[in-house]
Amino acid sequence: MNLTKEIGILLRKEMTIEWRQKHALGGILLYVISTVFVVYTAIKGVQPNVWNALFWIVILFASVNALVKSFVQENSSRQLYYYTIANPTAIILSKIIYNSGLLFLLTLLSYGAFILFAGNPVKDVGQFFLAMFLGSVGFSISFTFVAAISAKANNSSTLMAILSFPIVIPIILTLLKLSSNALRLMQDSSISKDIMTLVAIDVLMIATAFILFPFLWRD
Amino acid sequence: MNMKKPFSLLTILLIFQGFAQAQADNADFMRSVGKMYVVYGVIVVIFVALVLFLIYLDRRLTKLENQINDQ
Amino acid sequence: MRKYWWKILGVFLIVYSFTMGLLVPLKPGIAYFEPGATQAGKAYEMTITGYNTFYTKATAAPRVWLKYDSVHMLIADRVEVLGDRQLKARFNLPGSLPTEKQVAVTSLIIDDDYNGFAVKPGSVFITADSSLQEISIGKAAWGKTEVSGVHEKDQFNFPYRVQLSETIRNLYYHVPFWFAMFIIFIAGITQSVQYLRTNNPEYDYKSMSFTMVGTLFGVIGLITGMIWAKDTWGTYWTWKEVKMNMTAIALLVYFAYFILRQSFDDDERRARISAVYSIFAFAAMIALLYVVPRMVSSLHPGSGGNPALGADDLDNSMRLVFYPAIIGWTLFGVWLTSLIYRMQMVRERIYDQ
Repeated sequence: MNLTKEIGILLRKEMTIEWRQKHALGGILLYVISTVFVVYTAIKGVQPNVWNALFWIVILFASVNALVKSFVQENSSRQLYYYTIANPTAIILSKIIYNSGLLFLLTLLSYGAFILFAGNPVKDVGQFFLAMFLGSVGFSISFTFVAAISAKANNSSTLMAILSFPIVIPIILTLLKLSSNALRLMQDSSISKDIMTLVAIDVLMIATAFILFPFLWRD
Repeated sequence: MNMKKPFSLLTILLIFQGFAQAQADNADFMRSVGKMYVVYGVIVVIFVALVLFLIYLDRRLTKLENQINDQ
Repeated sequence: MRKYWWKILGVFLIVYSFTMGLLVPLKPGIAYFEPGATQAGKAYEMTITGYNTFYTKATAAPRVWLKYDSVHMLIADRVEVLGDRQLKARFNLPGSLPTEKQVAVTSLIIDDDYNGFAVKPGSVFITADSSLQEISIGKAAWGKTEVSGVHEKDQFNFPYRVQLSETIRNLYYHVPFWFAMFIIFIAGITQSVQYLRTNNPEYDYKSMSFTMVGTLFGVIGLITGMIWAKDTWGTYWTWKEVKMNMTAIALLVYFAYFILRQSFDDDERRARISAVYSIFAFAAMIALLYVVPRMVSSLHPGSGGNPALGADDLDNSMRLVFYPAIIGWTLFGVWLTSLIYRMQMVRERIYDQ
């Protein structure tokens, strides 16, 4: 069985499982909406710079909550079954692709919720969408990998947060800069360099995850 | 044994209060004499950190010794 | 690990860095002077306060110059020695500056045979009335003398910087911890890689010991840096400082590493997964190293014209203490690592029995 076919099958499996547990996704959405609403009622009239920071913080926490279950939603005997039939590279790749899609969807929905409650200060929509896309991919890679680690270690969501937050700081910093440019909070001519940086981080992380995942998966 | 801890805590508090008063007296203490006290402060921090590390090692070794004695 | 010559070497180098770093005096320098500004065409009398100077020991009265640029300078008419630390110099300023500028910033230069020469760049501000300026006169008056026959002292001294003063010695007690920390962390990562390749638990213990010592050094570096920062930059912590925040993030990662290690019961699993995490986190730290300097500039030397240790600040006398201190603390760190490692091995033996 070749790799692409394997990934395709695994992706379909992920979607089926997600569809069976619709309440989990609904819970994350509800989390985003209630956070935005609480923030909106707490600070009336959100300034663009606050909007920017809040947006990524909400996305950060929502992503952690969404991906913490990545490797534990199925029972251990079924994990063992996957282990015997699937290639670890295919498993991590399919998880990362699926989670990127999930996070991008989540980010879009949060963006909608933000527009609804806190207004839309985004001036350069294309750039903001690019930031959202690259951000979801970056978050997805690091959180998926850390979820795999914390799944092996008693799997507490606190551990997941402790392990992953320092790791995503480079991504968050670049994203904040990129999106504050999209909000015209600052003018930066070297924004293409930031996009390249983000892509480079994603590539670096995914390469490391590829090399290391077989060691995690083995047992 | 029970009395020991509250007492030492109180002592530390008193010492700190003393320091605070001393600092209020000469706010520029750290900057006096060519700012040599900054250097002394840094050296003291290094020694305190190394001593704390030694205490940590000491405690772990004591645990090991106890395990050997238990066997 | 049984050979101990390198432990002696490490301790010797640390003791050397402490004694040299604390005993060698700073070069005689100019601490401050007043008044700091004057006008062209007036007599300008300044009192200069030296640092580490012994003006009374000079055989002839010190010579004092105001230097405008490489060809235009002015010598003081009269210099009076008030004490070891105090000079009074009097200048007869010509009515014009040598160029059309209305404000000139001149450097102050003092030279005598006992203390050698000292320069304080960008010192005295001279303002001139442009309507009265005659540049030819100014050029003639400022071009008469030149700084010549200064006494280069060959004593072993550390340079004097006004903002740093004696705290320049912290170079030997703060910076080596960073270098040692980097070396030790990288050693830890290589041990993690070795573990994943061989599955030999000894490598896991080595990697854990290295990481522990690296974290200790990082904490020491951070706290000592905060003390120095409070003095030099006026604040313990600043979000404008790159190196400080990057280290804080790196330390967060390594604290997370130790918390991760605590949450396993199975030794093999702990070794494998913590090795995986430390390598993944290291990759993220490389990304951070690349990203953060683009976000904000650094207050540390080497960026934005900061005082302290640029190329011309780290002079040879400081190198003679600084590099041994780095080697000494690295060796000391390896020694601490070997202690933790050996303790861990003994623990394993006890558990095996």
